[in-house]
Amino acid sequence: MDESIVILIILSLLLGAGCWLVFIWAVKKGEFDDMERPKHRMLDDDEERRP
Amino acid sequence: MENEGVERVFCCRGCHGAYLLITGVGLGEFYRRREWDNAGLPAGAYREQYSDSYLAPFVRHEEGEGVLEVLIDGIRCASCAWLNEKILARLDGVRDVRVNYATSRARVRFDPALAAPSRIFQRIADLGYLPRPYTLADSEAAAAREKRGLLIRFGTAFFLTMQLMAYSFALYAGYFQGIAADTRQTMQFFSLLVTTPVVFYCGWPFLVGAWRGMKNRTPGMDLLIAIGALSSYFYSVYALFGGGEVYFETAAMIVTLILFGRLLEHAARRRAAAGVERFLSLSPPEAQRLTSNGVERVASAILRPGDILLVGAGERFPVDGHVSAGVTEVDESPATGEALPVAKQPGAPVIGGSINLTGTVQVTVDLPLGESFVARVARLVEEAQNRRAPVQQLADRVAALFVPVVLVLAGITLCWQLAGGAAPAIALMNALAVVLIACPCALGLATPTAILAGSGVAAASGVIFKGGDVLERLARVTVVAFDKTGTLTRGEPRITEVLPVPGIAGDRLLGLAAAVEAGSTHPLARAIVAEHARSGGKDTPAEDVRTVAGGGVTGVVAGMRVAAGNRRFLQGEGVQVPDDLQEPAPGETAVHLSEAGCYRGTLVLQDGVRDGASDIVRYFQERGVACHLLSGDRQESARTIARQVGIENVRGDLLPADKGTLIEDMQRGGAVVLMAGDGINDAPALATAAVGCALAGGTDIAIETSDLVLAKGDLARLRLAHRVARRTMAVVRQNLGWAFIYNLVGIPLAMTGRLTPVYAAAAMALSSLCVVGNSLRLQRSDHG
Repeated sequence: MDESIVILIILSLLLGAGCWLVFIWAVKKGEFDDMERPKHRMLDDDEERRP
Repeated sequence: MENEGVERVFCCRGCHGAYLLITGVGLGEFYRRREWDNAGLPAGAYREQYSDSYLAPFVRHEEGEGVLEVLIDGIRCASCAWLNEKILARLDGVRDVRVNYATSRARVRFDPALAAPSRIFQRIADLGYLPRPYTLADSEAAAAREKRGLLIRFGTAFFLTMQLMAYSFALYAGYFQGIAADTRQTMQFFSLLVTTPVVFYCGWPFLVGAWRGMKNRTPGMDLLIAIGALSSYFYSVYALFGGGEVYFETAAMIVTLILFGRLLEHAARRRAAAGVERFLSLSPPEAQRLTSNGVERVASAILRPGDILLVGAGERFPVDGHVSAGVTEVDESPATGEALPVAKQPGAPVIGGSINLTGTVQVTVDLPLGESFVARVARLVEEAQNRRAPVQQLADRVAALFVPVVLVLAGITLCWQLAGGAAPAIALMNALAVVLIACPCALGLATPTAILAGSGVAAASGVIFKGGDVLERLARVTVVAFDKTGTLTRGEPRITEVLPVPGIAGDRLLGLAAAVEAGSTHPLARAIVAEHARSGGKDTPAEDVRTVAGGGVTGVVAGMRVAAGNRRFLQGEGVQVPDDLQEPAPGETAVHLSEAGCYRGTLVLQDGVRDGASDIVRYFQERGVACHLLSGDRQESARTIARQVGIENVRGDLLPADKGTLIEDMQRGGAVVLMAGDGINDAPALATAAVGCALAGGTDIAIETSDLVLAKGDLARLRLAHRVARRTMAVVRQNLGWAFIYNLVGIPLAMTGRLTPVYAAAAMALSSLCVVGNSLRLQRSDHG
């Protein structure tokens, strides 16, 4: 029984670590720098393909 | 776009859509009627102002890419931001463009080998926007870096603490229901695993701060946090191997909650910064320079002494100089505090920043922008800001008291247990337990949550605090210093008396004056017209109106020649003005009127006191706060206004630097000074004072240097700001009280060695809940 708990805990830690890495990547990429513009972005037209 | 056989160019899709809509319903006429002169930025405003060599210092180099920050003037809507982004992204060599709509700033990443900064600028200018190089102020760049670091630390701490909670709950359950010793050991081991990075990575700033505090002998909140987190961490590590209860969650929660508090503080500061930017004009100061080829618009920064400028009515003088041709009247109140316009003849000096009111003049530049009056004031402001000593925050002061008390209690516990015959290890553990339970997790939330709620309430009613510490200082203010013109007074004259000669009705006198003054932009004229409209008088047309700068105005009303102006002007018109007229009091102006060569009466005008000015003075005086009036205007005018609003301490004839020095002297004497002002000449005082308060609509430099901005220039909001500040600080004190009380109850338990993890967790949760709930109360209460 004890082994199963340890395995589950380690699994959950790995899952969480995955999310944490995504979060770090997002912060580094500046996803949280501008809270104003993205909400207007959905009103923009899609960009046409570059010629 | 082709339309009606004519090629038309649109700035953006939005405009194109609007065009289709307008022509679609048959209103194409609009485009023929529209006045193109007033639309948008002046044509050719940009004109290759910036060369590559000039822009080079603004480019940062990161990983082989150039990064350029550009402030784009003219961004009015989200589609402007979109347009700039898309167009710039298509330039060769441009890798990435981000336009921040809220701040009108663009960050362009480009390949220096392929794209030149000047090309980027040119492209923005081609779109019809005005680009300016922008250097992130060092402080701002540091704040942005700090925010990212804080976010990563908080995110990490949050994630690990969530994991920790799962293990802790298993341990709590085991505490009540029994748990196998090896399972417990496993859980405790995992707790140690996740807590270690929280304390030593996420909590690193506090450990550094605590170390610095100890070295400088200024114990503060950081020290308390570090002591609390480290003691619970090491206690638990020892207990893990010694077989006792662990308190890892206390250590992790302290760090996580306090990081959360710091994030809230950042959010409040950023919101305030965005609020203040709304009041600042983005357009660069520019000037019309006369050259042999005509007039060209240039940036004020490149003007040289000897250049001749053309300054139209209603414009600001860009630099210091003197009038070389033309006559006009100048509003110098932003620079000197003088309320009424000053007449300028050729040869008269003009101050940069003052406003040209009536006529177009040619001005010869005397000093370059860098040495002008405005630049000198800006330097004074900078010096004052560097000199201003940081004020220790309430939480730090409390912590400074609390830390020694806790350490003494821990020492007593140690000695007492040893004296009682306990083993040294047990005694040391109990002493550590005292320290760990005494440090409240909610400490980090007590101030930020209250300040976020308080400044949110204030912002909703038009008061913008530039930082949480401003609320703290405002609540402790003991002296309020007001500027006169534009702050206590409206900054524009109003009619106070109408004195017609016998046989003439007051209304008729006013009507005559309003008729000849109707077309004028002079403040006195506007006041007369406004008063006439208020009293419901009919508009009579005047013909052949002529204005003489610094004198008055003449015109023909209903066939009669009417003149309005000062005494000398009327005498020049051949009118006998009685000599026995009462002389205008200081701060008052008399406008005499004649009709068909006969004197008809006099209007007395005065720069009126703002509504609510005397109320605000009374409000502060009733609370034992002394009020002062500091004015750059003449002593007598200052005294007149002071008498009207009920201020006794008056100083007139002050230079900008004098105001700052006076406030510095008061503060050296122990006073906490609030300065309220709006002019360029107030800026050094605003920067020196513990709290600088600017009114929206004032000069940019005043708004930039102040700590708090009142929207709409309404003085009643200052009372609101003061009330919010006092209430917020009351809540902060309650919060700190709550936070400590729960933990103080735990101290006796810890001293006798009966502390349990469940109690520690309960104290943690209850104190945090109470603190957050108490802060939210601020949002509901009425501050009216």
